[in-house]
Amino acid sequence: MARPAVVLVGADKGGVGKTTIARTLLDYFGAHQTPTRAFDTESPRGTLKRFHPYVTEVVDVTSVPDQMKIFDTLGNAEARVTVIDVRAGLLSSTLQALSDIGFLESAKKGQITFAVFHILGPSIASLEEIAATARFVGDANYYLVKNHINDTSFFEWDPATYNSYFKQIKGAEEITIPKLNEMACEQVEVASVPYVSFVANKNAKGEAANYSFVLRGYVRHWLGNVWGEFDRVKLVDLVAPKMESNIRQAAG
Amino acid sequence: MRGRRPGKPMSFRNSVTIVASPRPRVGKTLLARLLTDFHLHEGRSVAAFDLNSGEGTLAQFLPEHATASEIVDIQGQMALFDRLVADDGTTKIVDLGSESFESFFALASQIGFAEEARRRGIAPAILFVITPDHTSVEAYRGLRRRLSPATLAPVLNEMLGPAQHRDKYPTSGSGASLARFPVLAPGLRRYIEKPPFSFADSRLANAKDIPLDVHIELQRWLRKIYLEFRELDLRILLVDLQSSIRLQS
Repeated sequence: MARPAVVLVGADKGGVGKTTIARTLLDYFGAHQTPTRAFDTESPRGTLKRFHPYVTEVVDVTSVPDQMKIFDTLGNAEARVTVIDVRAGLLSSTLQALSDIGFLESAKKGQITFAVFHILGPSIASLEEIAATARFVGDANYYLVKNHINDTSFFEWDPATYNSYFKQIKGAEEITIPKLNEMACEQVEVASVPYVSFVANKNAKGEAANYSFVLRGYVRHWLGNVWGEFDRVKLVDLVAPKMESNIRQAAG
Repeated sequence: MRGRRPGKPMSFRNSVTIVASPRPRVGKTLLARLLTDFHLHEGRSVAAFDLNSGEGTLAQFLPEHATASEIVDIQGQMALFDRLVADDGTTKIVDLGSESFESFFALASQIGFAEEARRRGIAPAILFVITPDHTSVEAYRGLRRRLSPATLAPVLNEMLGPAQHRDKYPTSGSGASLARFPVLAPGLRRYIEKPPFSFADSRLANAKDIPLDVHIELQRWLRKIYLEFRELDLRILLVDLQSSIRLQS
C-alpha cells in the first residue's frame, strides 16, 4: 500500500476561503479515484461536512481523542488521503501539535506524505503567518494559495516583502485560485453539494437537479482552472505515486 | 437528465440557430426574421432572441416571437442560455448583433453551450454571414475552433454583391454547406422594412398595402429562401443520424 498522505488546509484568519479549497481538493481526489476522507475542525458544526457529508467528520483538532482519531488511523484507514480543514487561527497551533506527537518527524522520514495548503488573505498580516509556520514545515510540501474566488479587491502586497517571506519556505509553491462568479458561487452554497455534483446537475442524493446551465458552466470552467493549478504542482503524483508504489510492492 | 445512449443513432429534436457576423449591416436581422418566419410557416413553435440595440431590431419586427436579450450581466446570461438549452420543444433563433459577437461566443465556449445542447438533443448551428474582410475570416476560423460541436454554416448574402471570398470559409461540422441568401428584386425592400412585419402573416397581401405584383415577387423570393432553409434544417437535424448510418454501412 502507498504511504498515507495528509493534506492540511489552513489560514491564519477566517473568511479567506479555506473550506472552498478543501472542497476543490476533495473533488479533485475524487476525480482521480483516490479514496479520501476529510476532517472538519469547525467543531461543533462544520461547513465542509455540509458539502461532503459522506467522507467528512467534524473533530476538535486540539483534543487528544480527536487527534488519535485522525492520526492513529492513518495507516489502516481505507482512504489514502486525509484532508484536514483547519479552523481559522489554528494553523500554527495545529502544526505545533503535529510536531509534539511526532507526526512531523514521520513526515520527515518519508513514512507519511505531508502537504500544507496555506490560504492567504488579502492583507500583509497573513504573510507574517507564513513566517510563523515556516519553522514547522521544513519537509512538508508547502503550497501558498492566493484565493481570488470572492475577489473584490486586489491583493495589495509589495512584491519584495512577499518574496522575502515566500523564500523562507524551501520549495514552497504558489497556487492561484481564480475568481468564480458570485451568483454561481452562491448557488453552489445554496445547493450544498460538491462542485462536481453541481456541474453534473445532481443534488445531494445524486438525483437529477435543475441548476442553471449558465451557472453550471461557470463552475465547470472555474473548477477546471483550479484543477489545472493542482495538476501544475503535480498534486496527484504527490499523494498517489502509483508507479513508485507498484515498484515497491513488486520489490517487497 | 435525458442523455443519449451510446452507439444509438439519434436525430436532433430541435435546433438553436445563431445568426452571426462580427460586421454590422450585413443582413443578419433580415436573415433572422426570415428564419423565424420560416419556422412559424412550417408550424413550429419558435422563440427568437434579439441581441441588438437601436432601431429595426428583430424584437421590433416580430414582437410576439422575439425577446430583446442582453448578456452583460449574469441574470441576462441565465435568461438567455438557460432558455436556449431548455428541452421545451421550441425552435430557437438568436439574432446576434455584431457588438455582442465576441462576448456571446466567449461565454458560449466557456460554459460549454454547444456540448450541453447536443447532450439534450438540441442541434446547435451558426449561420455566419460571410464578408471578404479579414476580421470576419478570422472570427469564422475562431468559431470553428471554439464551438466545434456546433454546425457552422456560411451564408452568402447575394445582396452584398459577388463573392470571390467563399473559399475562405470552409464549412465545419458534418451537414454544413454554403447557404445562399438570394437578392430581393429592386424596389421591394421598402415594403418589408417597417416593423412590425412578419413574412408568415397570412394577411400580408391585404394588410400591408402591398401591390399584387410586389406580393407575387416577394412570395417567389421567400420560396427560394425557404428552400435554402429547409435544406439547411434537414442537414442540421439529421447530422447524427447520417453519420451513424455511414458508420454502420
